[in-house]
Amino acid sequence: MSESNIETPRDGAALLRRRRLLQLMAAGTTMALVPGVSAMRATAQTAAPKGGVLRVSAPFNPSSLDPVTSGAGSDHMILYSLYDTLVDFEPETLQPVPGLSTEWAFETPTRLVMTLREGVKFHDGTDFDAEAVKANLDRALTDPRSTAKGDLASVESVDVVETHVVAINLNRPDSALPLILADRPGMMASPTAFAEEGRNFDRTPVGTGPFSFVSWNDGDAVEMARFDGYWDEELPHLDGIVFRVITDLNTGLRSVIAGESDFVYRLNPQQKLVADRMGDKVVVRTSPTVANYHIVFNYAKPPLNDVRVRQAINYAVDREAFNQAALLGLGTVAQTMLPPGYWAHDEAHDGFFTHDPDKARALLAEAGYADGVQLQYYSNADQSSQQRAEIIMEQLRQVGINCVLTTGSNSDMFQRFMVRGEGDAIMVNWTGRPDPVQCFLFVYGEQGANNPGKVPPPPEMAEAVAEAQAAVSQEDRKPAFSRIEQAALEHALSCEVAFVPAIEVHSPKVGGYQPSLLGKPKFNRLYLES
Amino acid sequence: MNMQLVRFLGWRAVQVLPVLAMATLAIFGLIQLVPGDPAATIAGEYATAENIEAIRRDLGLDRPLWEQYGTWLWNALQGDLSNSLLTGLPVLDEVARRLPPTLFIAVFALLISICIGVPLGILAATRADSALDRFVTSVASLGVAVPNFWLGMIFVSIFALGFGWFPTTGARPISEDFWGAVHHAALPAATLATAGIAEIARQLRSSLIEVLQSQYVRTLRAKGLSPARILWKHGLRNAALTLLTVIGLVFNHTLGATVATEAVFAIPGAGSMIVNAAINKDFPVLQGAVFVLVLIVISMNLIIDLLYTVLDPRVKKD
Repeated sequence: MSESNIETPRDGAALLRRRRLLQLMAAGTTMALVPGVSAMRATAQTAAPKGGVLRVSAPFNPSSLDPVTSGAGSDHMILYSLYDTLVDFEPETLQPVPGLSTEWAFETPTRLVMTLREGVKFHDGTDFDAEAVKANLDRALTDPRSTAKGDLASVESVDVVETHVVAINLNRPDSALPLILADRPGMMASPTAFAEEGRNFDRTPVGTGPFSFVSWNDGDAVEMARFDGYWDEELPHLDGIVFRVITDLNTGLRSVIAGESDFVYRLNPQQKLVADRMGDKVVVRTSPTVANYHIVFNYAKPPLNDVRVRQAINYAVDREAFNQAALLGLGTVAQTMLPPGYWAHDEAHDGFFTHDPDKARALLAEAGYADGVQLQYYSNADQSSQQRAEIIMEQLRQVGINCVLTTGSNSDMFQRFMVRGEGDAIMVNWTGRPDPVQCFLFVYGEQGANNPGKVPPPPEMAEAVAEAQAAVSQEDRKPAFSRIEQAALEHALSCEVAFVPAIEVHSPKVGGYQPSLLGKPKFNRLYLES
Repeated sequence: MNMQLVRFLGWRAVQVLPVLAMATLAIFGLIQLVPGDPAATIAGEYATAENIEAIRRDLGLDRPLWEQYGTWLWNALQGDLSNSLLTGLPVLDEVARRLPPTLFIAVFALLISICIGVPLGILAATRADSALDRFVTSVASLGVAVPNFWLGMIFVSIFALGFGWFPTTGARPISEDFWGAVHHAALPAATLATAGIAEIARQLRSSLIEVLQSQYVRTLRAKGLSPARILWKHGLRNAALTLLTVIGLVFNHTLGATVATEAVFAIPGAGSMIVNAAINKDFPVLQGAVFVLVLIVISMNLIIDLLYTVLDPRVKKD
């Protein structure tokens, strides 16, 4: 493994060094530097051996293999290998880099023109061109089963300009669009195949990715094989990938230790301790991500419609204690939805909320709850979610906030809390988004799916969001993000607790892996040493 | 006797229908009590209310409950177990794919339980109140008490990760690779078998002790029959009825216990399918699986009943 700067950090100190490195990279990186980063990545690949089938232990059965109808964030890891995205991103920094589109520019603030890569074919032989892009985006915008409509809310229409040039017309400026097109909405599927298969395309995916679909047995495995007509002649290195659905993470880890799988991801810190004891049998990786545990508030109704109660919660929560207890200290305490070291985050906000129970009690008294207040606290029903709920509830109890706990499955809790507006607070594992503006729209936006009260954001935040969508370069967007973060903290719109570390364990034979700040591993460039 | 057997089987077959209807109705009723909405699960993490409503209409979930259940039962009785709400795939195909690995480890576990449990029970009964008996009895109690998912992990860490004798995860298709299937199923079956071994040993021991202490055995002994002959010809023959009952119960219990074991060993069997369907309220899959499992349990009970008639002349007369 020669990629020295992305080598496994095995402890907290290494994590800090890494974060420092990320900061430096982010500070010095503009769009101009991006090709340099790509070149660095390319050189690391030259000696990659060919062949072999990678066996990945996947913790979830996919909800669908069609990017337009896929409904779970955990599908990405499988979709990435089948579909290329219009825009790609640098895994370490989430900087946009060329994908199926080689270059793009905002002709006007509401018209994004993209030049497409030539000579790209879908697995079924269909040519990838501007017509295909239009068919894909139109389908994502209009299909009744589409789950991508929210991401593409700013898209008005798509024009085919030339065979390999496409223009996307917007109803408002949206500089987040390129990175949105690095996510599910930008995954390009064969128009011939989805027209033919209709609903069945969920289970017969055809993309342009380095691997083509072979089979999917529910609850068992998804198999894919190398696509010989892949546009990047160096890829793929592997003959195929098998995603084995192993829902129990401990079992998934054991399968890697025993050499029956090659890779397992999204492990909990507790499993890292087990893997660490295995010595040279496995490689353990820990890296920072933009995913975090945060407490979402419903501030449309009492008691959380009072900013002082929301602030009191923010002062009552001991983030470092939570990090130690729930994440074994491997996480990073959070203030806003953007992690320290990330380009859009303003370090000036770190330490805004400290653990201060006295201040929390004083704020509650001021709000008229000197004798305590009751909260309807919601949580997923799985064991580790309940453990996290217990930690937070105990911290809140110490300042006089008594929580009544309601639990249910992930989709049930989402429906009841976010859609129907039941309950006051819920702890969510927020997985983050490639573009930071998506986070704030989802959680604080008036129509945000994760804003249960549908209360409009404070005016200064709405203004700053519009600015962040209008400005194109990262340097120009930064001040706007700082003001969004400031408004979120002053109004205590949520309680951001800790960023989740990405913990992955793989066999020493696996090479070419780059951990992603998004916390969603991509397997496209991996190789197996014999 | 032949006529009797036919009438017996016919009566049993008639009994199956209400049992099936009751079992699936109970499942259907219970799943309505589980919080959550399959339409919401299908719609995904960021669905709108309209989106979910459309899916609900599409799947017929807006129809009255009795109509949903009635349609399902009517189709099921004609051999159509309908389609999964979540994936749209035919339930019958899914059950046919997921059931064999589960049945295989359950049968394997039953064989291990019998092969170890019966000798242990006999040993303990013939040496009642000896140190050996006490040892067997306490090990048996432990076997009943230890949760099998925990034991599964212990077995994996010793025999799979430690010695490397067995694989830790997965299953092989029995039709393609029988010995591979046996190799993969060995640890999960051994895990499941512990409870069965314990149950069989305990029940056989007490039943055998009861027989051996009865008056006619004393008479046999007085007649001068050798202890071995008493045990094999008279003792076991009489204890066999209990043994048969226990074996039937152990099999049904083992089938239920595969759920946790399958999760520990990542076996893509019916257990994980049922758990997943229950979490997502995918009631056609759940009912389809229960439908087939009930059929299997009823068939097992029928086989046991038939064996009674072979072993016990009194049953035949009734």
